[in-house]
Amino acid sequence: MAEVLVKIMLFATLRKKYRVKELNVKCDGTIFNLIENASKILGESFFDDVYDRNQGKVRENIIFMINGRDIRNLEGKIKVNNNDIIAIFPPIAGG
Amino acid sequence: MRILRTKFYIFHKTKLILAILLKNGYMGKILKADLSTWTLKVEPTSEDIAKKYLGGKGYAVYLLYQYLKEYESKGIPPAEINPLDPENVLIFATGPGTGVPGFPSSGRYHVMALKSPLTGSIGSANSGGEWGPFLKFSGFDAVVVEGVSDKPVYIAIVNGEAELRDASALWGKNVFDTTRILKKKVGGENTSVACIGPAGENAAYMACIVNDEHRAAGRTGLGAVMGSKKLKAIVVSGSEEVQIAEPDKFKEVSKRCLDVMRKNAVTGEGLPTYGTAILINIINTAGGLPYKNWQTGVNPNAEKISGETLAETYLTKRRACWGCTIGCGRVTSVKSGPFQILASEGPEYESIWALGSSTAVKDLDAIIKANHYCDELGLDPISIGSTIAAAMELNEKGYIPEEDLQGLDLKFGNAAALVESVWRTAYKVGFGKYLSLGSKKLCEIYGHPELSMSVKGLEMPAYDPRAIKGIGLNYATANRGGCHVTGYTVSPEILGIPEKIDPLKPEGKAKWVKIFQDFTCVVNSTVNCLFATFALTIKDYAELLSAVTGWNLTEADILKIGERIYNLERVIINKYGFDGKDDTLPERLIKEKMPEGPAKGQIVELEKMKEEYYKLRGWINGKPLPEKLKQLDIEL
Repeated sequence: MAEVLVKIMLFATLRKKYRVKELNVKCDGTIFNLIENASKILGESFFDDVYDRNQGKVRENIIFMINGRDIRNLEGKIKVNNNDIIAIFPPIAGG
Repeated sequence: MRILRTKFYIFHKTKLILAILLKNGYMGKILKADLSTWTLKVEPTSEDIAKKYLGGKGYAVYLLYQYLKEYESKGIPPAEINPLDPENVLIFATGPGTGVPGFPSSGRYHVMALKSPLTGSIGSANSGGEWGPFLKFSGFDAVVVEGVSDKPVYIAIVNGEAELRDASALWGKNVFDTTRILKKKVGGENTSVACIGPAGENAAYMACIVNDEHRAAGRTGLGAVMGSKKLKAIVVSGSEEVQIAEPDKFKEVSKRCLDVMRKNAVTGEGLPTYGTAILINIINTAGGLPYKNWQTGVNPNAEKISGETLAETYLTKRRACWGCTIGCGRVTSVKSGPFQILASEGPEYESIWALGSSTAVKDLDAIIKANHYCDELGLDPISIGSTIAAAMELNEKGYIPEEDLQGLDLKFGNAAALVESVWRTAYKVGFGKYLSLGSKKLCEIYGHPELSMSVKGLEMPAYDPRAIKGIGLNYATANRGGCHVTGYTVSPEILGIPEKIDPLKPEGKAKWVKIFQDFTCVVNSTVNCLFATFALTIKDYAELLSAVTGWNLTEADILKIGERIYNLERVIINKYGFDGKDDTLPERLIKEKMPEGPAKGQIVELEKMKEEYYKLRGWINGKPLPEKLKQLDIEL
């Protein structure tokens, strides 16, 4: 697969923990590879914070958005494309 | 009973009045104050009513309906009641969970009025802090306020005794001074003050009631109702305990629920760390953070006013309401500059949005200052922020004559004008006279009602339903008007709690809106914090309430109580003339496509969702059918 470059933005406790607001990451277009490559920059724990190895997908309580759309609401095979903006939120709420 | 008559008040010693009082979650007594005659009465809390309507909002809705029936029997049509006249009734109510140690986040109370001056619909608002529990510790479940006093008055309720006192010396004082003076004057332990500031005294339509200095029953202008009655404050103090029916069972259920809340990522970590303002970035990312009076749902400066920025730059510590394990309250300070404020609380997500995003003000210093003024002067930040934003758009489009503005430079993004507008509104100075009417009347005066982003006259909160469809249906059908916490479908639509649904699809939203509205009625009648429901389930509520009251409540019972409350509240607003035509949204949301962001091109498909919703509700044209009322055991 062709290599793509995307921007990852971290929020709330993820931003606090990794002391990074945003970073550019190259990947093969899959979410798995994107998180894997981000972990090489941020540290191994990032992968497990965001990805559920047993389920083989992003953790159920992580809000993972591609260009503002939560991947849980995207249909078909999910891919990230060049220049996509990925926003990752830990479980949060308010009102 | 001992009654001391003086020139100015009647003093009731209430301890001996009632032989059998409702216990187990209740204090068994309701205080009624007729301010026209300076008379206090005590009535028993009714077990029959409590079993059907719990307490808090539910019990208050029931009582308000009885007032309407009485008025009708006297030939006073409900539609003709003026919100600021003596006929309006104000009720402060707790529920069986309020003030029970171990009942999750139960430091809250609910306030209701027959009519809101802002909307003409029912008045309804909810607050945290300490006042609710302390009312119970003072010996009462609720306070009902009738009539209008001929001079400023406050009610002091201390350990089962209540007294009306002259408040002339307090009239004109702000919330902080009033609170400190009365706390000192009344003294004692567990003492709390709910009061109005100048905004309520001056009948600004979005005036709120503030307790514990920074907690407010914010919405629908109940501070103006209090002000119209010349009621400056209610002070509560006491050390009575709330009894519970099954202590062992309660201990077990409470421990389990509190453990769940502590371990839950939202109630145990997210809210304690960042408070509610953490939503700014996520709602903006989803394209639903209204900007410039809802002209779009994307704010290019969201990061500058976000919860993360607030925590990094302004937060000094957290503050929890009574008995709460979450502790979402923010203590903040602006250390220097023109908007310096050394100690404040908040702002919450909604306040930051209304005072900041909707007005395009990106200076968090100014937003904190404006929010501080709202607390100090007694204004609802959502409604005043939104009204200022509407004025900014009116002004931008050239619809406001320059002489009306009296030098106020109301342009989007003008931080100084924002702060100036807040205090001008509270004191009705200059253009503040117009702002104090709320966005609906303001926009009508200047010939452009379409620019008021309100429903039934209540300014909508911080979620654009073009990006979050279900919340649009909730805004449209909320009995008190444009309100998010009537049925907070943002939870499943954006936050994925209790499960993730697609915010952009209208399909299936009606059932979510209905269940959230019904369950929220139960929460507001318990009365505990809606935030507990991010971790707890309807079943948890059934178990908690059963252990406290001794009634064997099932999940189905809980939802039926909620549905009953929502329907009776709807019957009340139907009597005022509200029906299906009013269950709507501003044109901007149903006709103008979202111009940018993830929801680009979207509108709200309201009629489609509303049809499904009415069917589920058993309503026609926004009115409950007789068979629905019968099914819910609502006696009219």
